[in-house]
This record gives sequence, structure tokens and C-alpha cells, in this order.
Amino acid sequence: MNCEQCQELISVYLDSELENKVRVEIQMHLAMCAECAKVCEDFAMILDFCDLEESEYAPPPNPKALWCRINNLIETEVAPEILKEAEIRAEQKRRRWQFSFSQVFASILGIALFSSLMTLIVIKNFSAPIDVSANTAPSLFDRALGKVGLIETPKQTRENRVKGQQAAIDYWNKRVEAKRANWNANLREGFDRNLNEINQVVFEYDQILQQNPNDDLSGEMLDSALNEKMELLREFAEL
Amino acid sequence: MNWDSRKTSALKKATILFFSVVFFFASFAAVSAQKKFTKNYPASKNVRLQLTNRTGTVTVEGWDKAEISISAYLEAPAANIEPQSLSGTIVVNLVKDNQGRNEVGNVNFLIRVPYSSSVDIETRMGNLNVSDVRGGLVRAHISSEGDITLTNIAAENVAAENVIGDIFFDGTIAESGSYRFTSTRGNINLRIPFNSSFRLVATAPSTRNISLGDFASGMRFVSDGRRVVGQAGDGSATIAVTNQRGSISFIRR
Repeated sequence: MNCEQCQELISVYLDSELENKVRVEIQMHLAMCAECAKVCEDFAMILDFCDLEESEYAPPPNPKALWCRINNLIETEVAPEILKEAEIRAEQKRRRWQFSFSQVFASILGIALFSSLMTLIVIKNFSAPIDVSANTAPSLFDRALGKVGLIETPKQTRENRVKGQQAAIDYWNKRVEAKRANWNANLREGFDRNLNEINQVVFEYDQILQQNPNDDLSGEMLDSALNEKMELLREFAEL
Repeated sequence: MNWDSRKTSALKKATILFFSVVFFFASFAAVSAQKKFTKNYPASKNVRLQLTNRTGTVTVEGWDKAEISISAYLEAPAANIEPQSLSGTIVVNLVKDNQGRNEVGNVNFLIRVPYSSSVDIETRMGNLNVSDVRGGLVRAHISSEGDITLTNIAAENVAAENVIGDIFFDGTIAESGSYRFTSTRGNINLRIPFNSSFRLVATAPSTRNISLGDFASGMRFVSDGRRVVGQAGDGSATIAVTNQRGSISFIRR
């Protein structure tokens, strides 16, 4: 028998559950091998200790009754505190819904103002007729709403739109740059000529809008020119 | 006539003859360098033609036959042409068929379609001509430069767009129709019947050159004369014309 086999069987050996032949072989191995003898000794000590602990910490005779007593004790100590807390909360709740006349009046006024403001914003943004011919400056009210960020001013709307268009233009421009080397000279020249034409238009409207940001027609034309530029780039990027 | 003058005259004749021969062969070489593609398709009355060209002139004519005839003249280096007939639509897409190919030459089309066809043509560069078409749609789109000429058109929806080049429309305005003409630089001329009824928004912001001719009644200039808005008749159709840096003219048909 080797050490490995011996150590595998030590626990069964200590429980005295081995056949005589194997038990004798183990005893002989333990007599010769100090290492396995030490392992066997340790195992035996652990088993002895377990037996001892089991007897020392034996469960009480009626554990269910004991838990019941502990539970009752806890409930009698905690219940008055819970009741007290519940009473405090109820009192706070009562106080919270007691308002003075001035508080009620201020609240009503606030709600009325807020709903009027929201109605005006909705009317302004969704119901106003679109007069394409108009070249109107935003009213004082519109400017005030724009300042506090409740509505977008025409300038902000335009700037946001231009930003989006410019991003698309940059994307298609990169695609065109990658492909234009394959075009013939005639196509390249034609493309550049047309792009230049649109760029001039964009520049013109940009200048006009810097001088007069409320010129809706120029804003519309700038939008149209940027769309044309985007289309030109996109369609030539396909080639 | 002395000997010197005779000699000069003979030399002149010889030079002219030489250049004539050279010109003849050069022309022949140019013609023979072109390839021709022809194909006919049987078509129903309301067939739709959808053509996307790279560069070159496209001419579409209506005719009294129930078929579509496509003739293409291909300059070298020749492009691939693979027309497809897809459930009532004839599709020719030279951009898709030649994608990534270097140096494709011009392709000039002459296409004949039944009168009642819808025509949707576009090209990246070159002229577009459509005549005698009375279908639901006529759309002519040039991505960059080229003239658009639409003659004898009776379609409910018409759109013509280019960047640099003239646009000419000669046709009728259908009730509840939609007509849109857009250019960046060029002249837009619209020739329509006097009794047409439509709502108009015409914008020429740079030139302010909007000539209404006999259609001035019921129209007004707005935005410092850069735009004309108004109505003619009951105004059931809509006409939108935008020319960023050119003129707009209405002519009585």
C-alpha cells in the first residue's frame, strides 16, 4: 500500500469500517510511514474534538418553546416605540395639509400663471399660421420666452438646423474626396464649379443673416442652399 | 497668271485637300469610337421610366406606340448598361451599373415612351429633354449643371431641379397638380395656358427678377420684391419656383 491509498482510507479506518485484510495493511503502513501516521493522528484528534463539542453544545430540550418566549419578549419591548412613531407621523401629515390663506392664494395664482404660459407657448408653437412672405421680428414676449429657454428663437432653430446640415455635408464631403480621384477631368471641373456656386449662395445668405437675423426668407434660402449642397455631395459620392 | 501665282494656288489647294482628308478621318474615328445600345420593351399605357445617368444628354419623347425604345450612344470608355423591366417600370441606372469604374464616358440617350407614361429621369451632369408626355409624373433632376427642357407636358406632378442651367417648361397645369422648379443659377421660363388656376410661390432673392406677364392679376410681391405669392383662378394646383441667382418668367401659352 502506498501513501496515497493509505490516506484515502484513513477516515474509514478510524470509523472501524474496513475489512480485516485492508485494516492490517494500513496498520503496517502506518507503522512504517511517519507522514501517514501523522495524518492519521490529526484525523483522530479532529474526530475526538467533534465528539466533545457535540456533547457540550447539545440543543435545549424544547427549542420551539424557547424561540416563542424570545419573540414575545422582543414584541413587548418594541411595540410602544412603533406606536409612538406612527402617532408622530400622523401629526406631521395633518400639519402638512394645513395651509394659510396667503399660501392657498399664492398657489392658485402660480397655477393660473403657469397654465396661461403653457397655453401661450402651445399656441405660439403649434397653431400659428405660417406666413411665408412675412419678415417678422420676434415679439418681446417671444424673446423673453427664448431667454428663459422655454421656446427656441428662430435664430436658435436655424443654428441647430445648420449644425445638422453641416455635419451631413462634412460626412458626404469626405466620401467625395475619397472618390473624386476616379472621376474624369470634365466631371471634376463641373462638380467644383457647381459646388462653388452653391458655396457662394451659402456665403451670401450667411452674410445677410448676420446683418439681419430675423430675415426669414434668407433663412429659408440658406436652408435650401445647404440642402442642395448636401444633395450634390451625396449624389457625386455615389459615382 | 505667272508661274509663281500658279504655284501658290496649287499649294493652297493641296493644303486644303490635305486638311479635308485629315478632318474626314478624324470625324470617322470619333464616330466609330462611339458604341450604340438599342433595346425595345413592350409597355402598358401607364408605364414608368426611371433613368439615372452619369453624364450626357437624355432625350425622352412620347409616341403613339405601346412600347419603350431605348437608344444609347456611348462615348469611350464605354459604360455598362443593363436596363431592367420591373413590374411596369423600366429601370436604367448607369450610376449603379458603373459604380467604382474609373473614367466612364458620356452616355447620350434617346428614349421613346407611350404618351401616358410617367418619366423620372436624373443625371449627374448634362441636359435633360422631355417632350409629349402626359402621364402622372414628369421629374427631371440634374445634380449639377445642364439645361432642362420640358415641352408639351400634361402631367399632374412635375419637378425640375438643377444647380447651373436653364429650365423651360411648356405644358398645362392640371387641377390639383403640383409643379416645382428649382435652380441655383439660370433662367426659369414657364409657358402655361392663360386659364390655368394655381397658387404660386415664386422666389428669386438675388435678382428679384420675377416676370409674371399675363398672370400678374391676383399676385403680390413680398419680402422686398424677392418673392411673389398669389393665386390664379380657383388655385387648386400649386406652383413653387425658386431661383437663387437667376430670373423667373411666366409666358402665356
